[in-house]
Amino acid sequence: MTELENNQNIVHKVCTLYTNDKDSHKDLFQEITIQLWKAYPKFRGDSKFSTWMYRVALNTAITLYRKSKRRIQTQDYESVIFKITANEYDPQEEQQLQLMYEAVKQLGDIEKALIFLYLEDKDYREISETLGITEVNARVKMNRIKNKLRTILNP
Amino acid sequence: MTDGLELLKKEWQKREADLPKLTYDEIHKMIWKKSSSIVKWILIISILEFTLPHLLYLVPSFKENMGIYDKLGLHNIIIGFTIFSYCVAFYFIIQFYRRYKEISVLDNSKNLMRKIIRTRTTVKHYIIYSLSMILVIVIMMIIGVYLNDDIFSIFSELQEKAQKISADKLKISLMIGMGIMGILLTAVMGGIYFLLYGLLLRKLHRNYKDLKQLEV
Repeated sequence: MTELENNQNIVHKVCTLYTNDKDSHKDLFQEITIQLWKAYPKFRGDSKFSTWMYRVALNTAITLYRKSKRRIQTQDYESVIFKITANEYDPQEEQQLQLMYEAVKQLGDIEKALIFLYLEDKDYREISETLGITEVNARVKMNRIKNKLRTILNP
Repeated sequence: MTDGLELLKKEWQKREADLPKLTYDEIHKMIWKKSSSIVKWILIISILEFTLPHLLYLVPSFKENMGIYDKLGLHNIIIGFTIFSYCVAFYFIIQFYRRYKEISVLDNSKNLMRKIIRTRTTVKHYIIYSLSMILVIVIMMIIGVYLNDDIFSIFSELQEKAQKISADKLKISLMIGMGIMGILLTAVMGGIYFLLYGLLLRKLHRNYKDLKQLEV
């Protein structure tokens, strides 16, 4: 539990990527927490707690989670907006970031998972192990996603 | 573009401070909430699918209908049939349970999806089997009607209304009626079933396809 509390950032980040409003975020966070709690007895110390958390959180978001009915259909951009924390405020940079973030949100579930692990600075080995694909395929897919993002940003 | 992604990556890590921070107590409360995972739904729906058809025997009118089988000379066949179907159901339940137990959120995404789909397929086969059994029973009843010489004694309530019709005509219309009913019932049940699952597992199938595509 304490470990979960300390590593909750991972779960929050998955939630922001896969949901568009606060209620859904909370909903998904809760589901991931339940899954983590249920799976904890099976957690063996041979991998890091956080590695294990990535897997459970992504699996829940991609596969197990059923969106609740009260989900708002239209995108609630205000709560989604990517807040820039950079001290030096650069409007151009912020706009670029904003567009990029919105483009990422438009990706499919699997694509988001790859981007998420990439943003978390995971190597291709870990990405391939988490998703159950080969390393080569992870690289190929990543390149395709980058191309896709390019197309979204420059239609 | 790649710069954009790099920029996002840099900010992504800086941004952690902005994320919500839940306290130990808040997280602790969540653990006891009910899960709404699709695996749980699959389990609930599957249990219903295994038990509901058997609960039908407890409905009094259904029991009365069982009398018709006797009159149609199908008594022994139906008993054999019931024993057979319990064995099959039992086999499917064991198979389902074993596959259900294999599902683990700790698996990699592809394996997890594959196992969920496999578990689901077990129930799907059971449903296809059950639906075909409905058809088999209907066909047996039609044959029973065909071979029966005293049709009025079985459907006594029809006797008054149907006095003007000859027994042969009544037999044929009964057989056609049963056939249509049987096919309709199977089609409607099958339709509802596949629609329900199509919706529930749409996301899963789409994502699984995404992962599988990479292997080609």
